[in-house]
Amino acid sequence: MISGIKKLIKDFSLGELRGGLKITAKELINKKITVQFPEERTPISPRFRGLHALRRYPNGEERCIACKLCEAVCPANAITIESEMRDDGTRRTTQYDIDLFKCIFCGFCEEACPVDAIVETQIFDYAFVGSREGSIIDKAHLLKVGDNNEQMINDTKLEDAKYR
Amino acid sequence: MIKIEIDGNTVKAEAGEMLIAVTDREGISVPRFCYHKKLSVAASCRMCLVDVEGAPKPQTACSTPVMEGMKVHTQNERAKASQQAVMEFLLINHPLDCPICDQGGECELQDVAMGYGSDVSRFTEGKRVVVDGDIGPLIQTDMTRCIHCTRCVRFGAEIGGIMEMGGTGRGEDLKIEPFLAKGIQSELSGNMIDVCPVGALTSKPFRYELRTWQMNAVSNIARHDLVGSNIVIQTYKGKVKRIVAKDNDSVNETWISDRDRFSYEGLAHENRLLSPQIKVKGEWQKVNWDEALEFAMHGLVDNVLNTGEANKLGALASNTATLEEFYLLQKLLREAGSENIDHRLNIKDLNNTVALESNIKLAGLEDIDHALIIGSNPRLEQPMINHRLRKANLSGASIDVINVMEFDFNYRLNSENIVAPNQIALLLATVLKLILQASNTKIPDYLSKVEASDMARQLADGLLDADNSVIVLGEHMVNNLQASSMAQLINEIAQQTNSTTLNISATANSMAGDLAEFVPGKGGLDANAMLATDLKAYILLDVYPHFDFHNPAQTIQALNKKDIFVVSMNSFKDQAVAQYSDVMLPISSFYETSGSHVNIESEVQSFCASVSAPSNVKPAWKVLKVLADLLELPGFHFANSMQITSEISNQGRKQAVNNKAIDIKVKRGVDVIWQKSPYAVDALSRHAGALQATKIGQIHSASMNKATAKKLEVTENDNYLGVPISISESVANNCVFVNTNKSTGGEP
Repeated sequence: MISGIKKLIKDFSLGELRGGLKITAKELINKKITVQFPEERTPISPRFRGLHALRRYPNGEERCIACKLCEAVCPANAITIESEMRDDGTRRTTQYDIDLFKCIFCGFCEEACPVDAIVETQIFDYAFVGSREGSIIDKAHLLKVGDNNEQMINDTKLEDAKYR
Repeated sequence: MIKIEIDGNTVKAEAGEMLIAVTDREGISVPRFCYHKKLSVAASCRMCLVDVEGAPKPQTACSTPVMEGMKVHTQNERAKASQQAVMEFLLINHPLDCPICDQGGECELQDVAMGYGSDVSRFTEGKRVVVDGDIGPLIQTDMTRCIHCTRCVRFGAEIGGIMEMGGTGRGEDLKIEPFLAKGIQSELSGNMIDVCPVGALTSKPFRYELRTWQMNAVSNIARHDLVGSNIVIQTYKGKVKRIVAKDNDSVNETWISDRDRFSYEGLAHENRLLSPQIKVKGEWQKVNWDEALEFAMHGLVDNVLNTGEANKLGALASNTATLEEFYLLQKLLREAGSENIDHRLNIKDLNNTVALESNIKLAGLEDIDHALIIGSNPRLEQPMINHRLRKANLSGASIDVINVMEFDFNYRLNSENIVAPNQIALLLATVLKLILQASNTKIPDYLSKVEASDMARQLADGLLDADNSVIVLGEHMVNNLQASSMAQLINEIAQQTNSTTLNISATANSMAGDLAEFVPGKGGLDANAMLATDLKAYILLDVYPHFDFHNPAQTIQALNKKDIFVVSMNSFKDQAVAQYSDVMLPISSFYETSGSHVNIESEVQSFCASVSAPSNVKPAWKVLKVLADLLELPGFHFANSMQITSEISNQGRKQAVNNKAIDIKVKRGVDVIWQKSPYAVDALSRHAGALQATKIGQIHSASMNKATAKKLEVTENDNYLGVPISISESVANNCVFVNTNKSTGGEP
């Protein structure tokens, strides 16, 4: 009985509406938490797994030795590698393709790599235009991603290293 | 039989057997590196340590004979601890380069390290590094990875017959390396790759191409020799990438020859014939299969079948064809009304052949106590048969040889008799006479004037003293003027001495040719007669005139005659073939077709296609079937090659009978023995790059002695029939032994 009367009073004095407007008024003054992507970006964990890259050694030599462990471990069969003996007698890839449509960004390739050649960078805002083939990125592309982002890759790996 | 207890279970074992053999049979896993079931026990890796109750220390299972009541623990703490300790020691000097090692994924060390290794190394000192040398075009070495199991060394010493690899230095300085700078040259060397438990010895042509898990493995049969070794073809994306041996104790045990292992490289050679072609007004045109087969059909119909001259149609096939191909082609010819069929292309006189049964099993060769080898270099010509003979020799068999020159045998010969080709029949007759005399049998007239010699006496004694002897007749005698007499004499000797005989004079799948009756029937012409007469049409199956015929120049000339319609089915391009053919049909090569191989013991071994042929290339049996259908011949309703196999009667092959009188007169003049070098026996091997780069692949010489050279008026710097001369006193007088891998003008 008493609770019924209380509710009646609240309803007729627009209690809910006033409560809502109180939050609106508070947020009007508070600092905003939305970011203006792409001008602004949210922080990303160093363990974030984005676009792949193939890395090089500081002397410019590509790291990948065509061991094909990433190809073997990939649960989505997204990686295709062909290998041969390069003229200097070292084992190298002639083809290294990743199909980004197939890739599930699990990071197993990175885990399997014995020479830290294939890594997943912080880049997630890539796009491929047009055909299905556009989703397959080749060795040259991967090496370029690596070359352009070596500093970022290095920094994030260093940051994460202490937890591994 | 005794009883022992392993891990609490009682198992039966032969007394004296090694413990590891028992555990292997029972399916109990004991890690090992140096132990190999076909090699002697070295007990050098110490990996197979197990705990034997009563023994003060853990024992190596590979060198511990079982005893009644023995109690063995393979899994208890003591065994495990010792195995782990050994593993740690082995890994001290083993590099961590599994990612770039071709053995990765099929490595025994990797597998065992997974089970017995620790995940962290306690070894902080420098690792041993060994500098590699080049040991030839077949085997890649990475000796830093070697764990000194000595399997390759034992393989060389015990199976290969030449100890090419050996250990130098001691302790940490021990190096496994070839003793000589010239590298590995054995004809069985590829097996070292199979026995090596780590990545120290790997296949050079396969280097860095693929990981093992990427390939499919399919069983097949190697068709390069009379053995039909069982092999496993490893394929990737429809291409043959590697060949390894498959166990079959009655055929090839665990070994295969290098020819069987590395010939696959030819499949991807640029010289493959890839599309059907027809010759219109002297110009080659690439056409589709329908057009090519129509063209072939019309050519055959117009030239021979419709003119009522079916007997002017001939068929020749090389010895690389499968049983089914032989059968279909002869059936096509016989249905069309021609008996001109032959696969014996390299024999000068087909009325004078070495017709001789082979009546011994391959495995049976190990049990012989005496062998007489005539006219053969079995080591290079039939490596797996030679391996059996070698095993027999090691277990005590004496081996006599009658050859035209000294060859490098890999076992100890009782006697090596170098006899001129024209005197071998006489020598055999002398041996026969001595044998007949020994049993007081009446001497036939033709032997009455034969006089015994020391050599013959010794050979006769060898056969008479033996209980289980075999007489082996080889390839060198096929074109001997007294070939047929020799075969008859051998038959006679074998009967008198209760010997078995082994005829290895024709190689590859020639037994299938005989089984499918791919030989002229009644009224038919043999290969030589066909080429000598005016036939009007030919169907040629995988024939390469420069290599397959004893007289290439004459053959090409005969086939080039005007108004002859030639249908050629080939897997590789060949200039001469393009010159004389009117239609060229690309057919599948080895491993791309299903079929059967018939080996020396008449065992029919069927196989499936392991890879598909290049897009426009068809299996020969299908081509022949469609051609027969187009010609409207009855009885070619085959849906697969197995149906053909089952149609082929199992009566066994008929041996040509020698009716010629035995002739033992010594003929005058210089004999030329013309041999294809071991890696030039078929088109596939000839196109295999790594094989051709080996020492055996480059054999190309005409050997003769000084006296013969003088007679022929040539010197060491000359060429004889296009082949460089090598003067050697190891060759019999009046004999030129030509062994060549090149296409030449051929012998006179």
